[in-house]
Amino acid sequence: MNIVTDSKYMIPHQSPALERGPAWLREKRRASQTEFNELPLPRRGLHLWRYTDPSGFMAIPDSADETAPSENYKLVEKLELDHLKSGNLEALVTDFGGRDIKVSRSGDDVTKGLVISSLSEAANSHAELIEKHLYSLIGGSSGKFEAMNSALWNDGIFIYVPDNVEVKKPLHLLREAGVEGSIQYPRLLVVVGKNASLTIVDEYGGGSSDFRNGQSYSNAVVEIIAEQDSRLRYISLQRQASGMQSYLTHRAQAQAGASILTIPLVFGAAISKQNFGVLLDGKGADSKMYGLLFGTSRQHLDNHTLHHHRAGMTTSDIDFKVVLRDKAMSAYTGLIRIEEDAKTCEAYQENRNLLLSDSTRAQTVPELEILNEDVSCSHGATAGPIDPMQIFQLQSRGIHEADAVRMIVSGYVQSSLKLVPEDLRERISEFVAHRLEDI
Amino acid sequence: MSDKSTLFKFDNISVTVEGKQVVNSVSLNIKRGEVHAIMGPNGSGKSSLSNALMGHPAYNITNGQAALDGVDILGMAADERSRAGLFLAFQYPLAIPGVTVANFMRTALQAHRGKDADMADFRKLFKKKMADLSIDPTFATRYLNDGFSGGEKKRIEILQLSVLDPKMAILDETDSGLDIDALKEVSKGINEYRNNNNAVLMVTHYQRLLNYVKPDFVHVMMDGRLVTSGGPELALKLEDQGYEWVEKEFGQKAEA
Ligand SMILES: Nc1ncnc2c1ncn2[C@@H]1O[C@H](COP(=O)(O)OP(=O)(O)O)[C@@H](O)[C@H]1O
Ligand SMILES: [Mg+2]
Repeated sequence: MNIVTDSKYMIPHQSPALERGPAWLREKRRASQTEFNELPLPRRGLHLWRYTDPSGFMAIPDSADETAPSENYKLVEKLELDHLKSGNLEALVTDFGGRDIKVSRSGDDVTKGLVISSLSEAANSHAELIEKHLYSLIGGSSGKFEAMNSALWNDGIFIYVPDNVEVKKPLHLLREAGVEGSIQYPRLLVVVGKNASLTIVDEYGGGSSDFRNGQSYSNAVVEIIAEQDSRLRYISLQRQASGMQSYLTHRAQAQAGASILTIPLVFGAAISKQNFGVLLDGKGADSKMYGLLFGTSRQHLDNHTLHHHRAGMTTSDIDFKVVLRDKAMSAYTGLIRIEEDAKTCEAYQENRNLLLSDSTRAQTVPELEILNEDVSCSHGATAGPIDPMQIFQLQSRGIHEADAVRMIVSGYVQSSLKLVPEDLRERISEFVAHRLEDI
Repeated sequence: MSDKSTLFKFDNISVTVEGKQVVNSVSLNIKRGEVHAIMGPNGSGKSSLSNALMGHPAYNITNGQAALDGVDILGMAADERSRAGLFLAFQYPLAIPGVTVANFMRTALQAHRGKDADMADFRKLFKKKMADLSIDPTFATRYLNDGFSGGEKKRIEILQLSVLDPKMAILDETDSGLDIDALKEVSKGINEYRNNNNAVLMVTHYQRLLNYVKPDFVHVMMDGRLVTSGGPELALKLEDQGYEWVEKEFGQKAEA
């Protein structure tokens, strides 16, 4: 089935999606529906939409099918279940189509107090927490597509770490999009309590594997609240199939003394637009983002990062690395905003683009909105091929040119991966190696 | 002394870099077991010659021939030259972030041996060579030249020499940046590498290293030309009197 897109689409009042959940949630959905219907389509050429056509994301929900997971999904699910069994994970949560949420936890070794559940269940079992935090960072007023998710999401994932609880092993979220003809609105809410700690791997796979058979769509929202002095490591892996059109907005709030490490890993989809933002809302909050993007064939990968310093004495650092080959394109827009009363902040941002062929395109747009003088801030961007001197140096030791290129690229991506849990790091290294096989 | 056969021979080599001629018709005949030194002031073209012979893409050989063990190398890519037995220790080795020294050395040795060759001995060999050069074992897992001091980089170059064991080694300013202890260890590494079947060409503007690795022949380079040659005593004279006399005596000729 082919999905219909319509840039004038309105969510109808009788849409059954708006009827899901308790009364307060239905109200939020209605409000988001109104916002969606009233908000104009983002104007092309303006700010974040300079490089990507917004109308491509206006997929009509009614034109979608409920599809079954791909074969590959079962393989990855099994792999992760094995990791769970062998004690490497705290829990595995599978999410098919932003709809079917299944939580598997390690039998006897469960961290006390840690809540992992579907959003629909949590809306009843943890009503207070959900009502307080859901939509607190991303809701109807965040933007056209955020409003769409906020109105229409089916089911999502909820994670809550109580104060002072240290979750030692990673939590793996495996989200699978349906094959061609499917639309999904995945949603995640994470609350990390005071002085608690957590690692999440949030993996997005699946989707239509071939444009020509029809597309599939995903529009995801991630909200994370890191309370005072908490520590969160959040790894987002996007490896969706090559007929996928994908949108994701992430917002994390770092309260006083909290530190958040965000690692966006971008490999998949035909057209992907992602927006990762951390709000530094309390004194001493720290955010680091180490991104890695690898584009091949004709992939169009548009990423935005935001570090918003809303409190003094906060620090942020971004290193977003890009590798492109064939005719792939990357657009990276990195905004650092430091409010007037957020004094004594440090903010750094770097975007490097390694271009493995002449027909790739890399756009890089650093944006600084610094509203006071008492800050230390720097940004840098580079784009170019591998240094031929590096290739020569490896070749001069007998290494074939293509192998030298593979080594240099594999090395280049390492710094983004060193804080990724080991199992995953190996898988990512394999992705990278696979993408370099025929170089 | 038995008859020594020629190992590395180059004739009338001229090199341009960015369109500028920096090496002008240089020839040398190096036999097995020999140590040659090319000395010359900064900017005289020593590194350009060395890099060009190794196949560096920025240095164009516009004229001349070079043969290693009777085989023409100028038509070969740098990796083929290496596998044919040529080695260059760089004056300024580059960092390759994310690539560990051990992984790099294993890949290089594998390339030399052939892709299906057994590498079971690698660990042991690598460990021994590191120990021989007093290189801290933690360097195995560090990224190649990433954050290394000048001296550490030079030691790692000599480690590569001793693991790959080439026929012909060109060492470009391998002594620079070394303190006296490091100089002794690096020299020891070079001397252990040497045998009757290989040869060394040392490129330097000081004669310091030549106290430890004794050259059979010393050649002086000025403005892209080899202007005079002699025995080890020539190095001592340069150490004593500097390059001024060379300039006086041969400078003219070099410009002509
Ligand atoms: N990569 C390069 N690009 C431009 N000029 C170069 C380059 N390498 C060497 N040169 C020039 O070639 C000349 C010889 O330099 P070099 O070979 O490094 O001398 P040496 O090693 O004897 O100090 C110098 O004038 C130097 O500036
Ligand atoms: Mg030099």
